[in-house]
This record gives sequence, C-alpha cells and structure tokens, in this order.
Amino acid sequence: MTALEDRTDLYGHHVETGRTSLRRVTEPDDDDLARRFRDGDEQALAVAYERWSGQLYGMAVRAFGPGPDAEDVTQQTFIAAWTGRAGYSAGSGPLPAWLVGICRHKIADVWAKRDRQRRQSEAVAADVASRPGSHDDVDTRVADRVLLLGELDQLGQPQRGIIELAFFEDLTHVQIAARTGIPLGTVKSHIRRTLERLRTRLEVDGAALQP
Amino acid sequence: MQHCSPEQLALAALREPLSATDAAHLADCAACHAEVSALRRGVDALAFPALAAPTTSLTPPPRVWDAIAAATGVSATPASHPTPVSHPTSVSHPTPEPAPLATVTRLQPRRNRWMAVAAAAALVGGVAGVVALTRDGSGQVVAATTLDPLDADDSSGTAEVRERDGVRSLQVDLEAPSLGEGYYEVWLLRPDVTGLVPLGVVHQGANVVPLPAGLDLGDYPVVDVSVEPLDGDPSHSGVSVARGSLS
Repeated sequence: MTALEDRTDLYGHHVETGRTSLRRVTEPDDDDLARRFRDGDEQALAVAYERWSGQLYGMAVRAFGPGPDAEDVTQQTFIAAWTGRAGYSAGSGPLPAWLVGICRHKIADVWAKRDRQRRQSEAVAADVASRPGSHDDVDTRVADRVLLLGELDQLGQPQRGIIELAFFEDLTHVQIAARTGIPLGTVKSHIRRTLERLRTRLEVDGAALQP
Repeated sequence: MQHCSPEQLALAALREPLSATDAAHLADCAACHAEVSALRRGVDALAFPALAAPTTSLTPPPRVWDAIAAATGVSATPASHPTPVSHPTSVSHPTPEPAPLATVTRLQPRRNRWMAVAAAAALVGGVAGVVALTRDGSGQVVAATTLDPLDADDSSGTAEVRERDGVRSLQVDLEAPSLGEGYYEVWLLRPDVTGLVPLGVVHQGANVVPLPAGLDLGDYPVVDVSVEPLDGDPSHSGVSVARGSLS
C-alpha cells in the first residue's frame, strides 16, 4: 500500500522503505492529518482511509477471513473513529494506532455477537433435547476481551504503550525498554501494575458477564 | 524460601523466560504459581494473534468506503477509489425540517447524520444511494444503524434492515438491562416524530422482526426502542431508551 512509503508505521515509528512518492510533497504528514481528522476535515477521513484501510482490513481478514465480517469491521472502525473523533487527542498516540485500537474493539464485538448467537441457538436446541455440559455459558475469553480492551482504553501513557507492545507486538520487557527508552525497572513495574489492574477488573466485573 | 518478586511473576504471566532460580522456585511454589495463573487470564484474553498489530495490508473492496461515506455523509473520496456509482431507488427522501416534538422523547442529534447522508446523496446526483453493507445467509443488509442510549439510559445496540427474496426484516441486537416489569418494543419513527410504526416486542440480545411491505424507510428512518408497561395500551409509552437513524 502506498500509504507506508517512507512514513511512520502504525505505532509512529519511522519506516524507511526506499521508495518515494510525488504525492508525499502535497499530502499531509501523519500528525497534520491527525489534527485535520480531529477537526472534522472530511478530506482527512478519505486520506486516512487511503493510508490505513489496508492495514485495518488486513487485521480483520486475519480474524475472520475475507468476507462480510471483515468488511464490516473495517467500515465500522472508520465510522466509529469519525463519529468519535472528538475523543482523539495527542495523548491517544498516533492516529493509525488509535484506529487499530478501535479495530480491536470491533473485532472483539463480532466475537461477542457470534457467542451470543451461538448461545441463543443452543438455548433453543436445549429446549428440544436437554444436553449435558455448559453449552449456554458465556465464552469467558470472548467476554474478557471486550471487558479488558475497554480497560486498556482507561490506561494512561506510558503504561498503555508498554502493555500494548507486550501484548500486541510480542516484545519482551527488554525489547520494550530498548524501543521506548524507558528504564528497564520502570517497564517492569508498569507491566506488573497493569496486569494487576486487568486482574482486578476481571475479578470485579468479569463475573457480572455470566448469564 | 524466597518467593519470586511481583515483577518476575508478571513477566512469567507474559511467558517471558525467568532466571533459573526463579523458574525452579515457581515450579515448586503453589502461591507463586497461583499468582501467575491469576495474572495470565488477562494476558491470554488480549495477547491473542487476531488482535496483534497488523502484519498484512489488503485492499478492501470499494463498497467498504461506499458504506463509510454513506454512514458519515462525507463526500470526499480516497484518491484510489473508483468513481462512485449511484444506486437509484424508488425511495425519495424529503429533507426533514426540525419540527416540534410530539409525545415521544426528543430526538438525539443522529438525525443530523441522516440529513447529512441525504444531502450528500443529493450532491452526487439527486438520488439517494442505498449501500449494500454486508451479505450473508440471512439476507442482504440494505440499511443499518447503531442504537445509541438516550440520556442516562445504558441501553444500546445495532439495527440492520435485511432483505431476502424481496422481504425485509429488521434485525435488532439490543444490549439493555433486565426489566423488573414491562418490556422493550421497537418502533420506526419519522425524523420529526410525527408518525411511528410499531414493529413488536424485543428482548436483550438478537431479535428479528418483519417489516411491513411497502413501508418507506426514507419516511421512517429512525429506529426507536422503548420501555412499555404491561398496561394494555398499545401506544408508545414515551419512554425511549435507545435510538438510531438508518442509513
């Protein structure tokens, strides 16, 4: 995708591709684009789509395969970002990383919806023939994901960036320290506190998800 | 016995390798092991391949942008987008004027979005585009909206109009608290709330209700979910909890 020519990747790191594009001269850089997006410039939505829809659709296809769910997740991500653009701030990180965060929510929502539909159809089946097992239970992990993605949104920086590198880029704490320039001990204590926070959230609200 | 430090247990929950001493202790210590398991539930929920940072870029089909443009009313187009094609329909959209409200709870600003969509469609060529969002076994989605909570209510959801073999139905996915008494009902409203069509009782979770044949969704684009008392009165209670405008 042309969007990544000598620009920054989804996490704001500079990517040297060796390619150049004449359009770079006239197109806004990512920060300028993010400002215009937040201010409601419609052209900024189109440029953001041009730049990052491929990455987001790639994520959605990885989760669901090509088809209606992947397309729906992609469009819902951009629609939610546009309608919720007032909630984007510089503290939210680079715009593409923010879009990826919304995309994760949309993916988790589709799983949760599928889980609900599964339980409903199984509940109907159970009326006909009662079967053993906990077939109508909420899939705990599906429910946990929705809950904890919401909790990640509540984290400030640098905690959020640190745990996202651990969870979503599979970096070790040593690699995270090297990538971010944050001291090793600080990275470790942030990881510890964030995992505790997620555990607490599950203990407080996870049970409430049970039917 | 020296327990592992809290930080080491967190790293163990992330499946990072530990020092030989820590690893040996963890293998034998039930307390430390339980701690790792408790921390790992969150790790396992989120450190999941499908949620990982994007690795592959794939170009979505043009209809994805078409749906975004329709839902947001944005008339700009991405540089690589093919020339948009209008889909003429028999639906004509009068531009609704904000009008005094009738007996139902006031409309939320989503109506503005509907007007933006209508305006954008008018710019394209005087016809409104009905964009196919998704297609699967239960029919083609011809219009959709999120249902946003009204005021302090924490009810929300989505509504999709599906068409299959020429028959339309409304699929309502409702997230709403359990009601001690009464029930939820879904309605289609005119934007200025001068008319409403009752569609039936809905409950939490997924619902499908048929739409009356011939009903013009351009006239009745607002999906409204109300709480109705069991009082035998078929009219709208005036207590709306969630609403969205189809586009």
